[in-house]
Amino acid sequence: MIEAAPINAVMRTLADPTRRAVFERVVKSEEITVLELTRGSDVTQGAISQHLKSLKQAGLVAERREGRNVFYRAEPKGLAPLVDWMSHYGVFWRQRFTNLRSLLKEIDP
Amino acid sequence: MNSAALQTDTQDIVVEEIFPYTPETIWNTLTTGELIGRWLMAPTGFEPVKGKHFTFQTKAAGAWDGTIRCQVLEAIPNQRLAYSWQGGDESNVGYGSRLNTVVTWTLSKVANGTRLQMIHSGFVMPKNDSAFKSMGEGWKKVVPSIGAIAADQGERN
Repeated sequence: MIEAAPINAVMRTLADPTRRAVFERVVKSEEITVLELTRGSDVTQGAISQHLKSLKQAGLVAERREGRNVFYRAEPKGLAPLVDWMSHYGVFWRQRFTNLRSLLKEIDP
Repeated sequence: MNSAALQTDTQDIVVEEIFPYTPETIWNTLTTGELIGRWLMAPTGFEPVKGKHFTFQTKAAGAWDGTIRCQVLEAIPNQRLAYSWQGGDESNVGYGSRLNTVVTWTLSKVANGTRLQMIHSGFVMPKNDSAFKSMGEGWKKVVPSIGAIAADQGERN
């Protein structure tokens, strides 16, 4: 069972706009280094590293070391506590509308 | 977690689409048991009559057996259909938690067919000024990733 605490940990982690921006960039890239994240950002490398550390602690980001480089990637499982009824039904209804469109075509082409 | 700081608020899901069919055809798919089963889920005991109780069977979670309990609240042929949509259990968090919502279908005739609007209302969301609220736009950008996970769950239903 998913406990209430991780939801709040995830929410608290993503509540910081800079950290959220970092997370979104990690989500958009398959793998990304601190250096790449610092480029195209007006935040220092040290600050980015701190945000990555928090994201890692919240289970939102995972790292892979290769030589002197550390690659970060999004950990979708970390978002699982946020999959509540609303996100469940957000997807559910869109899928059902698609089903309905196909059914209508079948009934009345 | 400071539960005292956590307030609640309700939110709605709205999906709207124009279909190139008459309201009568759309109404038929929304209110015929056999057809509902082909695009939504197979209902048990559904009739488009105000006050009528019916159920849908979905994936169980914890203490909840997965039954969605519904009651027709409004049924105006070719115009509006509303039913309650309840389920879940207090002991669950996220999917499977207590759900007390309403699904409203509104059909309106437009030049090229029928506008079908679905409002699923009454989702209780945690509202925490310091966290949840400030997620704002960023939350929506993260949603595609969440959507992928939810879609994954949906397939197992």
